[in-house]
Formats: sequence, structure tokens, C-alpha cells
Amino acid sequence: MRHPPIQLTLIVSLLTGWLTLPAHSHAKPPLDFSRDIKPILSNKCFFCHGPDASQRKGGAEGGLRLDTAEGMTVDLGGYFAVVPGKPAESEIIRRISSRDPDEVMPPPATNKSLSPQEISLTSEWIQQGAKFSVHWSYVKAVRPDLPALKDNAWPRNEIDRFLLARMENAALKPSPEADRFALIRRVSLDLTGLPPTWEEAESFVHDRDPQAYERRVDRLLAKPAFGEHWAQMWLDLARYADSAGYADDPPRTIWLFRDYVIRSLNANKPFDQFTIEQIAGDLLANPTEEQLVATAFHRNTLTNNEGGTNDEEFRNAAIVDRVNTTMAVWMGTTIACAQCHSHKYDPLSQEEYFKLFAFFNQSEDADRQDESPLASIYEPGQEEQPKQGHAEIIPVTVPIMRDLPVDKHRVTKIQHRGNFLELGAEVTAGVPAAFPALSEGASRDRLALARWLVDENNPLTPRVIANRYWEQLFGIGIVASSEEFGSQGEQPFHPELLDWLAVKLVDTRWDMKAFIKLLVTSAAYRQSSKLTPELESVDPDNRLLARGPRFRMSAEMVRDQALAVSGLLSPKMYGPPVKPVQPAFGLTAAFGGSTDWQTSEGEDRYRRALYTTFRRSNPYPSMATFDAPNREVCTVRRVRTNTPLQALVTLNDPVYVEAAQAFARRIVSGGGSSPGERARFAFRSCLCREPNDQELAQLVTLYERGAKHFQPQPEKARQMAGDPLGTLPADFSVAELAAWTVVGNVLLNLDEFLMKR
Amino acid sequence: MHPQLERLQLQTRRHFLKQCQLGFGGIALASLLAGDSPASPRYVINPLAPKKPHFDAKARRVIYLHLTGSPPHLDLYDYKPELVKHDGQPCPGEFLKGKRFAFTSGVPKLMGTPRRFAPHGQGGVWMSDAIPHLHGAADEICMIKSMTTDQFNHAPAELLLYTGSSRSGRPSMGAWATYGLGTENENLPGFVVLISSGVQPNGGKNSFGSGFLPSVFQGVQCRSKGDPVLYASDPPGMDRELRRHSLDTLRDLNDLQARELGHPETLTRIVQYELAFRMQTSVPEVMDITRENKETLEAYGAQPGAASFANNCLLARRLVEQGVRFVQLFDWGWDFHGTSPAEDIRDGLTKKCATMDKPIAALLKDLRQRGMLDETLVICGGEFGRTPFREGRTAEGGVLGRDHYPDCYSMWLAGGGVKGGYTHGDSDDLGFSIARDKVHVHDLQATILYLLGFDHLRLTYRFQGRDYRLTDVHGEVVNGIVA
Repeated sequence: MRHPPIQLTLIVSLLTGWLTLPAHSHAKPPLDFSRDIKPILSNKCFFCHGPDASQRKGGAEGGLRLDTAEGMTVDLGGYFAVVPGKPAESEIIRRISSRDPDEVMPPPATNKSLSPQEISLTSEWIQQGAKFSVHWSYVKAVRPDLPALKDNAWPRNEIDRFLLARMENAALKPSPEADRFALIRRVSLDLTGLPPTWEEAESFVHDRDPQAYERRVDRLLAKPAFGEHWAQMWLDLARYADSAGYADDPPRTIWLFRDYVIRSLNANKPFDQFTIEQIAGDLLANPTEEQLVATAFHRNTLTNNEGGTNDEEFRNAAIVDRVNTTMAVWMGTTIACAQCHSHKYDPLSQEEYFKLFAFFNQSEDADRQDESPLASIYEPGQEEQPKQGHAEIIPVTVPIMRDLPVDKHRVTKIQHRGNFLELGAEVTAGVPAAFPALSEGASRDRLALARWLVDENNPLTPRVIANRYWEQLFGIGIVASSEEFGSQGEQPFHPELLDWLAVKLVDTRWDMKAFIKLLVTSAAYRQSSKLTPELESVDPDNRLLARGPRFRMSAEMVRDQALAVSGLLSPKMYGPPVKPVQPAFGLTAAFGGSTDWQTSEGEDRYRRALYTTFRRSNPYPSMATFDAPNREVCTVRRVRTNTPLQALVTLNDPVYVEAAQAFARRIVSGGGSSPGERARFAFRSCLCREPNDQELAQLVTLYERGAKHFQPQPEKARQMAGDPLGTLPADFSVAELAAWTVVGNVLLNLDEFLMKR
Repeated sequence: MHPQLERLQLQTRRHFLKQCQLGFGGIALASLLAGDSPASPRYVINPLAPKKPHFDAKARRVIYLHLTGSPPHLDLYDYKPELVKHDGQPCPGEFLKGKRFAFTSGVPKLMGTPRRFAPHGQGGVWMSDAIPHLHGAADEICMIKSMTTDQFNHAPAELLLYTGSSRSGRPSMGAWATYGLGTENENLPGFVVLISSGVQPNGGKNSFGSGFLPSVFQGVQCRSKGDPVLYASDPPGMDRELRRHSLDTLRDLNDLQARELGHPETLTRIVQYELAFRMQTSVPEVMDITRENKETLEAYGAQPGAASFANNCLLARRLVEQGVRFVQLFDWGWDFHGTSPAEDIRDGLTKKCATMDKPIAALLKDLRQRGMLDETLVICGGEFGRTPFREGRTAEGGVLGRDHYPDCYSMWLAGGGVKGGYTHGDSDDLGFSIARDKVHVHDLQATILYLLGFDHLRLTYRFQGRDYRLTDVHGEVVNGIVA
């Protein structure tokens, strides 16, 4: 993509809040290196003048370094890159503003250049004294003071105070509270992934208790569906799938891990404990079965069974993935580049990469086809069954982490260019110097690493986790690049709020349900999502949150909601993955089995989407179309698209057609007798609000047209109403059912239905 | 890419289009809705709208013919008389030292080709007797005899070729091309995948996936049976007229919401449903080869209803003719180890080539006759090459096979800005290493993007704080093959 730099700057400035400052502040605001200058240098200069010594160019011995205060002010032979307070004497300003192609920095060959605004910002920063600061996310958050406000009536909690302060600065006012129907639908979808029934919605709307909303939130957080919904985010991070990956991609039995995640979320396991169990449950004293299953987190790496592959090569690939995933999930840090060379933008060396690698290098697993080591687990309830001769109870096995005995420990060496055959110096387990040290005296194993990740002094984890939960609910993180908190990531849009939330998480001992409740009970969350032309022009991405969140649901929610509204959704939880209807391709995987499958029987056809068999080489097609990842690598953030192929899924996929058919039967049996009553019932069931007259008329007209269309065509009607759902109820006219199926199909495709609003 | 930019592109952003001119074409909603739009004429940013590349393109579209498993290039394209002379002799140690092979250990025996070779066309492009129809197309072909890759296992090598990395997670070549260029026909997917011989590629859907690019850029796999594009058919019992009525209702209800809540994404959704409606007609039409005349079907060896490579070659032409940007074919069964008679480089190869040779020759000729070849880049090859020696496991049997070989192999391109009747690079006398003009798969990727009008260094996408590109951190355009 070509974006002229000046326009990019505009966006960056918008994000850092520069242009949203009120116009009357004439004095130039103090610039912060980490927030205002480092992103420019990181993007444009660090590649050659950054942490990676091997790429560093210019300057004296060892190259010119612009990512440290010392590097910037080193004597270059009578002149200096940066002379604090004196931009005119600073070589960097001369070079970035030069018009001479041999002089200008960055050199034209890099295809990079600084915009006039970037140059003037850098110059202004030098003028102000060139004060250096450590990258913001590497400094532990301290609880910021709450800002003073003009309007003290609106905020319901501290979140609102931070948000309102920013809105007041931008001369914006918050939106009114969403109507009660919209609110109950929004919070139900956000907490359980499922819409409320009309009855549930009505009872909330008519609940006069001033605490009705808070009580409703508590009830939703206590539902088993809560864990099922929130598991999706974690399973994306854990790259959980039911197959081993690569060409043949054989089935892998690891669903006990998925169930562990659901149960842990429902039990509101503190996040630090949740972390320690997954990274190092096996190293805890007398680990429980649950803690062993938790370690399957890092057994979700791929195994390559292709003939002629070197197991040691792919064992190394799995360890690399564990390092990358751990740093991405907890630290919001992309470290993959340091596998081959020192990081170009952040202070992470290749040696430090392999020090992290060493933590994971003692695991017994070695790209084996049998996925050993495994734990044999009796499912809850299984062991209680009497073990009578005829039916032996077979335990479920799950791949787990288990370290080699000490005398068999592997030696970890730096791998040149990331090649496992080109080895360099030996390293021992340790954490990068830019981050807090491991606690004194701790063993240098995964357990120490796990504890370090959730240590209260870790500056990143609380921010990264708080941001991720925020992103789930508000659609975009306070740090929009929720996958990257380093130099190349976004600046936080509300830095104080993010720090306040991070401190809150640690102070509440990682109580995640309490944290979610805090977010959804804020006034900000409860606002109407209506978009005014003013807001659309000032804040199209809703970073200021002067309105409620509104965005498309995830692939899983799209499916679950359609099944829920139609009455088909099975409430069954846990267990082996299921195979709902999917189109046949008549193909096999390379060196593997068929990519088609035998559809599950009975209610297993209609389970929640997260129980669908996840084969990496062939993700369930309708979900892939709605941006579900293929779970081969850790996915921190899904992209939301809006495409014609999505329309084809919800219009024509037999799963959705069947849902419309089941919905039609609900409409005619429980929705009153007149077309108007039925249309109202259908509309309410889907959208959780009363239709207006125009909307009602549209549906009734479509119904009547459909009924007239099908009346003379009973065979077509039977297909429309019964293929694939099956036998039609005898007590209703087939044409009627077919026409309501068409109406249901429309409702299940409405933009409003696919959106959280 | 910047997360904001990404969202801005995928949603409707009037102000953004006005202010930033990111390069995505704007299209008036009204025109998309056949002139009777209830919505006010706003602009919609369509990520698949046609876009201009960095500079004038030589090729506007690509047909990539992947022979999954990797054909024995020493029995098709790269004639090594010295290897024939030394056939059966132990492989000299210098060629084995420090090397790893998938299924061969110890000292294997050299194997000269049992096939007859000759130079063809005015350019004298060497080909064996396994591919007689391609002899006639020799002057369209730009043969590269100095290809090399880093991987010797199928899945990692295929991922490296198509995504620039041997590990999963990156966007595929077709996704990059579609991301950069959009599509010329909104009523069809921009990137279409056709699979024959019953097996999907080694990299699974990753070989045509969108990786971290938005899913709208992923390859759409078309089927030979059932709906050609998944869910393109209306449900049983619903006819087109009723579908139109239901979509009218859907549009009107959505439009009421758009007016009520003011969200531009609602309008985008209306547009997507209208595109879907048209796609329902245009996809079956383009996928219906019975619309071709008898001569054409015969030229390709295509048979309506079959799921063959021949049909897919014909479909590829029909698709690019309709403006599809990137058509990717995968044909299984080219992994000539010698573990069965089908994998023998004599009869087995003759039989397998019979399913590929004629259709590809017909495709090149057809594109030429329609005046499309100059703007259509055709590429044909595997994920690596095959060894100049007999595969270890099968060395004692009666079937002749070769092991995987990444160091030096051949593949070819045609049309779309490359020199026809031309041979680039060469291997050494025994075919073990590159004698001149090395072309790494990253160089091939850079060249393909160059032919499509892109500087591969600048076709980037910001993800996890880094600007990613197809060529990873490598790649140089192979100027020698550019016409």
C-alpha cells in the first residue's frame, strides 16, 4: 500500500490525541519521547540506528544508535546527532530535513521519509530539551489520579471519569443511555455470547429495582454460557484445534484443554493462577489432573507427521512457537524476529530469545506421532461408574508438558539465523534485561517463568490483559494494536485509563469476572450506540467512546445466535468435538484422511460453535468466512470483515436455512394467530425490540407474498419449510410455514441481527 | 497495517476517503443498487475494488498451475547427458556431504533420465517426450533451470513458495495479489482456487489463505460438484424471484436501521448482499463449461461434470476472462518417489503427464488466440525439484523414482511480461547445483509481484508492529526473464 506519509501522520496524530486537543491551547504542549517521538524514530530510523548492532549504520564505532539517550548524544567528531535544546545544532534535524539525496535521512533507497510534521515534532522535542524516557509499556503502571471534570453527574465509575475528561477536552458529550432492550441484548451477548429471550428482556425492562442492571450482570456472569463464550478468545490465543497440523493434519485429542478453559472461566479462576497452571501446572507440587490438563496449552503446537521430516527440526519449531505465543499472549510483545537476529525496534537480543527458548527446551515432547507425553484422565463422572466386567472405562488422553529428568536436560544454544543446525554459544534460561528480573533464588524453569509473567512488577501483563478484555467489549483496544505493545505498536489512546485498569486488575488479585463487571457497568458501556453525523466525522472509530459500542459479532456468535433464536441450540456442554453439517469437497488432506466428515447425530448437530471439530487445514468453512482464524498460530486479534461470501453463508448455508425453518415453526406455534402478531413475535425474538409500523409492514408484506407464492406450489413449499429440517408439523399449512421460513431467513440476515448494538 | 487503517478501509468512511485517498476506489452506493437506491448516495470503501499497482504492470492477472508433490524436472525439462552417462554409479560424496534428504540415506545411485529430450521451438527450450503437446508451446515458455528453495518437505516447501515462510500464518501469493490489485469483476471472487486429483494442497488452506490479511483476500475454493462457490445456490424451494423479494425486504429493513442509527457499515452490508445476489448468477455461469464449444472442450480434453485438471485449465481461462485476478490450480500426484508404478518416471510419468500436457498447451494457445496471454502470467511448477539419484527406499525395486530435492530444479512461466522461448539459468552437469543465475523462490515471488506492477518491498501490511511482505526479508526481481 502506498500511503503518502503526511496522511499517515495525520492518523497517528489523531491517535495520540494531538489534533483533538482544544484549539485554544496555544502553548505548545510538552512532548513525551515515548509517546510522541519514539514511534517516528522506530518506524523510520531504528532499522539502521536501533537495538540490532549487526544492522547498525553510521556514527562512530558500533554505529549510530537513536534508541538510547547515550547513543543520541554521543560525540560524532565535533558534532552530535542530538544537542538538547538546540535543534539547529542537531545533526539529526539537518539530515532529516535535507533535500540532498546523498544527505537526507532516511536514505531514499529505503522508501521511507519523514513528513514535515514529523520533522517539526522531532525538532520541537529537541527544543524542549530532548528528554528521554523508557518505552511507556516497560514501566510498571501506577494508579493515576482521577481527572477533574465539569460534569460529575454522568460517571458511574472511574472508567467514566477518564473517558469523560477526554470527551470534555474534545468538546463532546456522552450519548444518552441505551434503551433497556438494547442494553439487555448487548450485555447478554457480551457476557454469554447468546441473546436474551424476549421474556428475559421484558422482565429486565420492567424491573424497577435501581440495581436491576447490576443484578442482571451478576446473573449472566454466573451462567455456564459465560465460560463458553469467553473461551473463544482464549482458544484463539492458545491456538487450540482438534488436529495436529501440517500436510496430513491428523486428528488430535486435546479437547480436555478446551473444557479446562471453559471450567476455569466459569469458576472465575484468578488470572495469575490460570496462567501458572497452563504454563507450568506440571511443575507445581503434587499437580492435580486439572493442572496437568492445563499444560496442554503449549501442546497445541503443530506436529509434523509428513514422511521424511526431521523430528528434531519440528520439535524446535514447536518450542519457537511456545516462546512466541507466550510473549504474545502475556507480554503483548512480538518477539519472533529475535529468533533470527536481534530485534530491530525493541531491546530484545537474539541471545535473550534463546534464553526464553531454554525455559521450554526441557519438555519431553519431540514432534512424535503419538503426541507423547500424554496424561490419562477419567472424565468427571467417569470414575464413579461401576467398573463391571463388560464395559471397561477407557480414559481420555491429552498431550501435556512434562520436563525431562535433570540428567537428560538439553543444552540450549543460540541458533544462527534461526536454523536449528547452525548452533552458537550456549545459553541458560533467563528473561530479557529490558524487563524486571526473575525473583532471586527462583529455579530457572517454566514455573519461574509463569510466576514472572503474572508478577505484580511485570509492567506488561496487566496492561495487555486489561486491554484485551476491553477490546472484546468495546470493539477496539485502548491500545488498538492489542498484539503489540512494543515500539512498533500503538500508543494507548487513554494511557491513564489503561494504567488505572492494569493496577485495578492486580489489586483485585486478577478477579476477571469483577473486571468484566466493572467494564459493563460503566456509563460508557451503557450508552446508546447511535452514530450522529458529528461523531462520525470527529471520532469514526469510537475511540473517545462518546457512544456505545456497535460491531459485528464473531463467527461463533453468528452461528450460536441463529441456533438460539430458532430454538435448535443444544445446551449440552463439554466433551469431544462435534461435526455439524458442512459441505462436501470430495477431497482428502495431503497424505491424510478425507476433509469431508460424517455429520454428527441428534443434538450434536446443534451444539455451540466452539464445540465444532477444528481441523486446521480445513477450518469449518462458514466460520472461516466470518473471520475465525485457522488456529495454527496464536491469534491475538481477529479482523472483522464484511463480504458477499458472508451473505451467502447466512442466506443459503443449510445450517442457517434449517434455523429459519425451525424458527418458522416457533413463529406459527407460539407467535399468535394473525400475520401481524406473528411478524411481531418473530421480530422481537430476533432483535429484542418492538418493531415500528414500517418494519412490521415490511415483514407482513413479505409473508403474504411468500404465502401466495407457495400456495400453488406445495412441493416447493415443502422443500422451503422442511429441507433439511425434516418432517413438517401436520397442524399448519405448508405454504404458511414456507413463507415464515422466508421471513425468518430475512430476519436472521439483518445487519442489526449480526451486530451487537 | 495500522489497525485503524484496516478498519477504516473495511468500513464505510466518507471522511476518510476524502481526506486520505488511501487508494481504494470509491463507488457510489446508488450505482451498485441499480439506480433505485433507498439509501442516500454515500461512498463505500470496497477492499476488492480495482487498485493501481506501484508502476505499469506487465501482467494483469495470474494463473498458477501447481503440480503438487513436485514433478521430476530431470525427466521433463532439464536434460543432463552426463547424468545419463553415469547412470547407476554411486553418487559422489561431495554432492551428499552436509545434505539432508527426506527418504534417502547412505550413498544412493545416480540416475540418468530414461526419457528422450530435444530442444523445441525457435528458442530451443528443452523438453522430454513426456510432454509432447507442450513442445508446440515452447516459444511461449520461459524456462527457469536454476530454481532453489530452502525446504525439502512438502508442506513447509509449499508454504515457503506461496507465503514466503515455511511456517503457517502468512498470507498467500494470491491473497497478496488481490490485496494489492483488487478485482476487475466484483461479481466474482478475486482469487479462485481449483483442485484436481482429489487431494488438497500440502499446506491445506494455508497455501491459499489470507493469513493475517483480512479474510476477504483469501482464495475461494470452487468445487466441481454441488455449488461451485459454497452456498451460492438458493435453498431448495426458493426461486430467484422470491430471493429477490426477500432481499428487497432485507435491504429496506437495513436501510431503515441505517437511517435510524447512522452506521455506515449497515450500508456496506446492503452492498455486500447485492453483490452476493449477483454472484449467485455469475459464479455458476462462469463455472459452466458446457457453454464452451466442442472444439474448445476437445482441445483441453475437458469433460463437463468431471473434476479434472483439464476442466480446471479451461475454467482458469474462463475465470481470468471474466476479470478474476488470481487463479490457483493444485493437482495432486506429482510426488515421483517410485513407491508404486504410478510414481515411475517412465510409464507412470507418461500417464500423469497425459492429464496435464494437453490441457496446459491448450490453455496457452487459447489465451494467445484470445489476445489475453500478454496480460496473463501463467506459472507452472512444484514446491521443489527431485534428486539426480534414485530414491533410497525404492532403489532396489523395479520402479524408478527420485527423492525431494530443493537445491536446484526447473519450472516455467509464460505470457504476462516474460520472455517466451527462453531458458534462464542452468544446473551443473549432473544437476546437483546451480551453474548460473540462481533464482530462489523469494526471487520468483518478487518477480511475480513485479510483473503485476509491484515493488515487492513496498507491497506491505502492518501486523504485530512490523510491515510484512510476501518475500519476507529477501527477494530480488529476476530481470533476466522479463520481456
